[in-house]
Amino acid sequence: MTRCRRLILTLFTIIIPLLHIGAEEVTLWTPETLPMVHLQDADRWVCNPDGILSAATVDSVDNIINHLYREKGIEAVVVVVKHTKDNDCYEFGMALARKYGIGGRKTNTGLIVILSTEDRAYYILTGTGLEGTLPDAICKRVEIKTMIPRMKIGDWDGAILEGMKAIALYIEGDDTLLKDNSPSEDNGWEALFGLMLLFFFIALFILILTQAVYKPCPHCGKKRLYATRQDFLYTKGRTDYYKVTYICSHCRYSETKIERRPHDDDDNAAILGGSILGSSLGRGGSFGGGSFGGGSFGGGSFGGGGAGGRF
Amino acid sequence: MKISNTLKIIIAIVVVALLLARCGTSTYNDMVNQEEEVGKAWSNVETQYQRRADLIPNLVNTVKGYAAHEKSTLEDIIAARAKATQISVDPSNLTPEKLKEFQAAQGEITSALGRLIAISENYPDLKANQNFQELQAQLEGTENRITESRKIYNAAVKDYNVVIRKFPSNIFASIFGFEKKNGFEAETGASKAPTVEF
Repeated sequence: MTRCRRLILTLFTIIIPLLHIGAEEVTLWTPETLPMVHLQDADRWVCNPDGILSAATVDSVDNIINHLYREKGIEAVVVVVKHTKDNDCYEFGMALARKYGIGGRKTNTGLIVILSTEDRAYYILTGTGLEGTLPDAICKRVEIKTMIPRMKIGDWDGAILEGMKAIALYIEGDDTLLKDNSPSEDNGWEALFGLMLLFFFIALFILILTQAVYKPCPHCGKKRLYATRQDFLYTKGRTDYYKVTYICSHCRYSETKIERRPHDDDDNAAILGGSILGSSLGRGGSFGGGSFGGGSFGGGSFGGGGAGGRF
Repeated sequence: MKISNTLKIIIAIVVVALLLARCGTSTYNDMVNQEEEVGKAWSNVETQYQRRADLIPNLVNTVKGYAAHEKSTLEDIIAARAKATQISVDPSNLTPEKLKEFQAAQGEITSALGRLIAISENYPDLKANQNFQELQAQLEGTENRITESRKIYNAAVKDYNVVIRKFPSNIFASIFGFEKKNGFEAETGASKAPTVEF
């Protein structure tokens, strides 16, 4: 009996793991989990995490996109996966566009091509600046002529390569597409006004602070006492001691006082002003790209244009 | 230098008044900026709806060639389009009623278009026509653009409402006459435009 049970147990421990060898892990990609290759390597634009496309296709398409980027400033991302989480290529693409800001900030010439082979869906999304060159009808035409026939027979490499070639032809034929070389906007005028106002307040503040308190003459009460002479007495630590003579200009009443003047008296105001000024000038700088060799996207926007469907 | 106490008080009051003015100016400018964003987003929404309206004559002509019997559906679309293009809304006086009216008119176009697309399923020649396919792609793209522009508009309205309702900016808002704005509401029984699969 026990030998029989042991045998069955051993068989189970062998068979069940064997059954799992054939099963594949199904990754449902989301815009958050999709590895964006362009951020690691500025020359790569094709995201192929499931290894559907061959290396040769990936290279060829990267070449095409690099050429478009150099000549026309287009930022194009191609995504080929087996499954997307919500089975909606349009929303996937739009979320990707929002997340990375694909396309130049001013030109908005971004392009996203998505193919989900096992969901059997595809979409070509155009940035707002590219909608004139690649209107929805043209995207559809490219899909019908070059992509759908190949996708139906499972030729993913051919579909993507020929599709990108056709798109590149349209883009290169458009002379109005230029690289974005314009400088960033300058919003200095408002900041300058604020700074001037701040200076004014600081000056006022300092003026009030450095006023000594003068009491009126105890004798006639009419005018206040002026300091007429200041004789140095001695220094104790960091403080100087002076004998100061005050005279009332009205009744000639005079009195003397021993006053202390610290060494650093005149520097206080400068330090105060400097620290306020420094904090107001510290605005956020620009955002840097990835590590050395990595690329970045320009921050362009997508309006929802393009075409797609299922096959 | 001689500064009497009263003069000091006057200076203090002036400083406070200047600070208030500075605060008020920057808040006012923020509200103006945000209102402009809302106006910009609204014009974008109107542009996308107009784009859809402009596609309709071409669509009607293409369908007529293949499905001449579907006269009533075609006439419905033309009538809905005419009605919608007459309604123009100024973003500065966008009351909830006007917005509802606008949405309702556009909704009629959406349902009429939906019926036409559904009917075109019965005409395989029409479906195979390249012009029709491209028009459909344009319509779907426009519907997507409409959805995106509405999202952006609603986001701009939300940001604007937050700016004018936050304390203490809301005091300045009521002084300068900034009022709360309304965003698009989800349409009852809304559905995406039916897509045709090949």
